[in-house]
Amino acid sequence: MALEIQSISKRFGAREAVSEVSLTAEDGEFVVLLGPSGCGKSTLLRMIAGLEAPDQGSIRLAGNDITQREARDRDIAMVFQSYALYPHMTIAQNIGYPLRVRKTAAAEIVKQTAGVAERLGLSRLLANFPRQLSGGERQRVALARAIIRRPKAFLMDEPLSNLDARLRVEMRAELKRLQHELRTVTIYVTHDQAEAMTLAHRIAVMSDGKIQQFDTPSNVYHRPTNTFVAGFVGSPSMNFVPSQDAVLGIRPEDVELSMTDQPGFTAARVWVSEEMGNETILVLATVLSTGEKQITARAPAGTRLDFDTPVWYRFRPEKLHRFHTSTGARI
Amino acid sequence: MKTALRYAAAGLALLAALAPVYWLITISLKREIDQFAYPPRWVGFAPTLENYAEAFGQGSFGAYFMNSVLLATISTLAALLIGVPAAYGLARFEWPRDWNNKIADWILSTRMLPPIVTIVPLFLMLREAGLINSLIGLAIVYTAFNLPFVVWMMRGFFDEVPREIEEAAMLDGESRAGALLRVVLPLVKPGLAATAVFCLVVAWNEFLFALILTQTSAAMTLPVGIASRVTQYEIKWGAMSAAGVVAMLPVLVFATAAQKYLVRGLSLGAVKG
Repeated sequence: MALEIQSISKRFGAREAVSEVSLTAEDGEFVVLLGPSGCGKSTLLRMIAGLEAPDQGSIRLAGNDITQREARDRDIAMVFQSYALYPHMTIAQNIGYPLRVRKTAAAEIVKQTAGVAERLGLSRLLANFPRQLSGGERQRVALARAIIRRPKAFLMDEPLSNLDARLRVEMRAELKRLQHELRTVTIYVTHDQAEAMTLAHRIAVMSDGKIQQFDTPSNVYHRPTNTFVAGFVGSPSMNFVPSQDAVLGIRPEDVELSMTDQPGFTAARVWVSEEMGNETILVLATVLSTGEKQITARAPAGTRLDFDTPVWYRFRPEKLHRFHTSTGARI
Repeated sequence: MKTALRYAAAGLALLAALAPVYWLITISLKREIDQFAYPPRWVGFAPTLENYAEAFGQGSFGAYFMNSVLLATISTLAALLIGVPAAYGLARFEWPRDWNNKIADWILSTRMLPPIVTIVPLFLMLREAGLINSLIGLAIVYTAFNLPFVVWMMRGFFDEVPREIEEAAMLDGESRAGALLRVVLPLVKPGLAATAVFCLVVAWNEFLFALILTQTSAAMTLPVGIASRVTQYEIKWGAMSAAGVVAMLPVLVFATAAQKYLVRGLSLGAVKG
């Protein structure tokens, strides 16, 4: 049950939120829309959901054109950032609601609700109300409500961003497992590149209402199509250094360090050193032909360098990315 | 000391609020001789129900009471039926160029002129339509009178309901109407209750329109009926008080029943919960 989006556009007043976006998610695929806020990823998701009408273009799900269909007739489930649980209903009623709307028999609703609750570890909370639950639990209820009716597609709008850091990582793994087991095509919106990298089969990196690159996490990371993708994906960000005919990009882990001056190395000093435990991030201050420049480098755990310590660095030549100076496109 | 002062202040406020009510109730239970006794008899008079008998037995207060009940109920329901969808529309659908606020302001502006200036045109219109001395005529006027408040109050309550909850309902399979009925309305129940009480009280107590637009007892309401006992020759204090006591009851009963929602409804928006 593939989801195909054909050159879809949406304009809000003078601003084009989504511009001629095409994208196909294969059956069972986990696609992440990644981009900074305002890049159009949420608008794209809402158009797929049927909450926003596209100005042009078409959406096909499982072979059927659903562009003009109402949200309720699309057989798509969505998980919202705010969870959007029904405050006046118990957890059981929340989870069973999609079935109730579809006039499923009461006994069947109870059975399926119990099943889904069991799977997501919500069994003992069924009689509670949403306000009595923690953020993580509410998130699970939202997921349970989405999966109970076996929709043709899942849409998720930053579902983890309201959770604290530890819970977010936990839920991320759970979500990945769940999607793997359900094998339902999933479109997931986030601005968090770690979520995108870990969850996606393919990532669509968006900015300015356009898809900059649609590829596997590995290719997005190792072969970014332009400077935007290269700079947005990866933490710390890629270093960009202008050269005569191109912009050079180098990831912090591909900056080789030396404590002594060696051939091919450039002198720098430690601007700041951030010890993370498993690694140390070094920000180096160096002087290039174009002027002063900061270079971020990844150093092994235990590297401990004081401010202004002199160091030498070089870019691993085989790891250099080259981008067109004016367009930013990969060369 | 502070607490004592607070209680004293609260007691004073309570006294100011309840003394007239107490006086009204006692008068309704007094014979005429006790009503005018000086010094006034706050307690210790022989209670009697003859005033009630007079008001509702021989008098037409029973009919006025029914008129008032019908009128308040019908006009409140009508105002909610028209106003709630209007408020929902203003809260949820965005027109370009700030038209939502312009429309809302225009609706409210209909209440900015003193009601009395609308009396003459209203009278003429209703007369042409043959709706003078009719409950329907008054119900239409009261509905129109209450609509701006319904729209404004309910719009505020709808604004408080996150859009996403409604969108979730629509993705779960509801139409917009279904989402409104089964998800949004239950969430604004306190607001609905507060709005309904407000409309009921306004319709129940309204005097001016009822006085001008009804001249026979066919559509006369309690406030007008009570006032009509002030005549050229005598003032029926006893019967008027008895009718007044009965007139208080429905609003009291309704407000008590809706109290659970009322406090939340009136404070919604101030405190999120």
